[in-house]
Amino acid sequence: MADKGKIYKCLNPTGIQVPVRTFPLAPRLNTIQGKEIWFSICGEPDITIALERKFKTDYPDVNWRVKKTYGVAPVLLSDEEMKTCDGLILGVAW
Amino acid sequence: MPYLAELERAGIPTVVIDFSDQVEVVKQQALESGVPAIRSVHASRTLPGPADADRIVVLILEELTRPLTAREKESGIHNPDSPRVLFEGSLEEADVFYHQSRMVPYPLNAPIALYTDGLPVRIPTEERVLEMLKGTNHRPDEFITYQTSREGTIVAEKEVGERKKGDLVKFPPMNMTATVERVAVNAVMAGCKPEHLPVVLAMAESGCPTGTTTFHGQWVCVSGPIVNEIKMNSGYGMLDPGSPVNVPIGRAYQLMGINLGGAVPGVNRMNAIGNPFNTGGTCFAERAEGMPPGWKGMNEEYGFGKDESVIMCMNGLFGIQGRQFSPGGYRAFQKSGHGGIARRLNVKGKPGPHNWLEYIVPGLWANQEGGWTFVMVPEMARHLYEYGFKSKEAVYEWLWKKSFMPVKEYRNYSWTDLRTNGWMGIEKTSGKPWKELPDDYMVPAAGDDPSNFLIIVAGGEEEVCLELGGRLPDIVADPVFSIDAWR
Repeated sequence: MADKGKIYKCLNPTGIQVPVRTFPLAPRLNTIQGKEIWFSICGEPDITIALERKFKTDYPDVNWRVKKTYGVAPVLLSDEEMKTCDGLILGVAW
Repeated sequence: MPYLAELERAGIPTVVIDFSDQVEVVKQQALESGVPAIRSVHASRTLPGPADADRIVVLILEELTRPLTAREKESGIHNPDSPRVLFEGSLEEADVFYHQSRMVPYPLNAPIALYTDGLPVRIPTEERVLEMLKGTNHRPDEFITYQTSREGTIVAEKEVGERKKGDLVKFPPMNMTATVERVAVNAVMAGCKPEHLPVVLAMAESGCPTGTTTFHGQWVCVSGPIVNEIKMNSGYGMLDPGSPVNVPIGRAYQLMGINLGGAVPGVNRMNAIGNPFNTGGTCFAERAEGMPPGWKGMNEEYGFGKDESVIMCMNGLFGIQGRQFSPGGYRAFQKSGHGGIARRLNVKGKPGPHNWLEYIVPGLWANQEGGWTFVMVPEMARHLYEYGFKSKEAVYEWLWKKSFMPVKEYRNYSWTDLRTNGWMGIEKTSGKPWKELPDDYMVPAAGDDPSNFLIIVAGGEEEVCLELGGRLPDIVADPVFSIDAWR
């Protein structure tokens, strides 16, 4: 039975966020022409098949590169690939 | 998302394609990854791929080229306050405070409770939490860490690397951490007693994932001496309401997912319909005394001793199926070979024991590939033993062999594209690429080996078997945690 008029301290049930240092986005490209852009596919093939085709036909001046998995985690760029990568599109759409 | 954050920090602009109803998930994951402004473009859930590609291709490329806004150039520290005392006031006022809800906008447009599962909770006063903490020798300010090392896996659709003993447990989807005291707070709210706390702490070690999308259902099963010690119901109606032990422990899982993980329907817990396992929580117990001679308990199957208590925390995608026969028909079949089951299995007039699994096998993979966890009553386990299965492993092996089907048939299931990595992967039993296998090649629908089956003996005397998602439903490997480590 609660004491009438008593003030109770009630404790917090929520999780404790680990502090996160936040960073800005990378500068954007001034043009995509002549750039190496990776399309990292890790999701439903329905849209990604069409997108890959469209990127390559509509923007032939871009050096399109593709990483592909059907799983939930993307196939990572290697350190060497990151050196020449100008941009990355992650097609996750699960 | 950590991958995109890494690329952005390395100076590589990125954009992610998601769905419009996943915006909050993306935002939260981006923040947690340290690059909160990651850009996204929404695909359509309904447009055919080519039409959708036409619609969004320009939008995607714009996100790679549109100059950054001032907000997108910001950096700093995200460190939200999380005070130990959340509320001070009378119990009546606390009742109002802890039972508040907030409106969750599109795609939900409905109120969702802020700190509860929607039902009333016991207010976690400091005194009550202190009393609850008598259930463990662990310090209140100790952070929940892994008590044993674990291999890398995928949990709740997110990759989780190897976890070493002593590593902080992160509670998805917000990947927050918790102290022993915060777990005890949730245990109080769920209605647990101090003697339940080691079980709740062991559940907390799982991170209490709630999953997102599809049909995730969470259930936990306790095995070992603690079942009788704290008087769990492992018999009649163990999944039903009524037990003052099973019910609050199951509820504590859900409260921890909500409070410690930050799971919110319509924001980052996107079960399209939801799962009845999760309403009020689901906890039950193995009935060790009902086990046939020589059959291992769940604790022993996972490398623990018979005298050790463990909990299995499952976050399965595949829900639950029920018995496929009338219990009376089953008894007639086993006792004297009468009835429809006997006719189907061609044992009419022959008394049992018969292998009743033969009857349900055609339904097991009728619409879904993968393994199964069977919760069967002691009598039906005993029939399998008397039929000739002297170990659970023998049953698993038999079931696995029964699951073989031609590649041509296996191709027609909905998850196989994922399981085979779009048919680009290797079929494990043959060691050959999936694409090289002929149509008539036989592959196991139950997974690479028999280890995706599990038998839990529990329940009352009416002849019933439930089939739940498999022992390793791809998203939860290594789902068993020591309770004794948290005493």
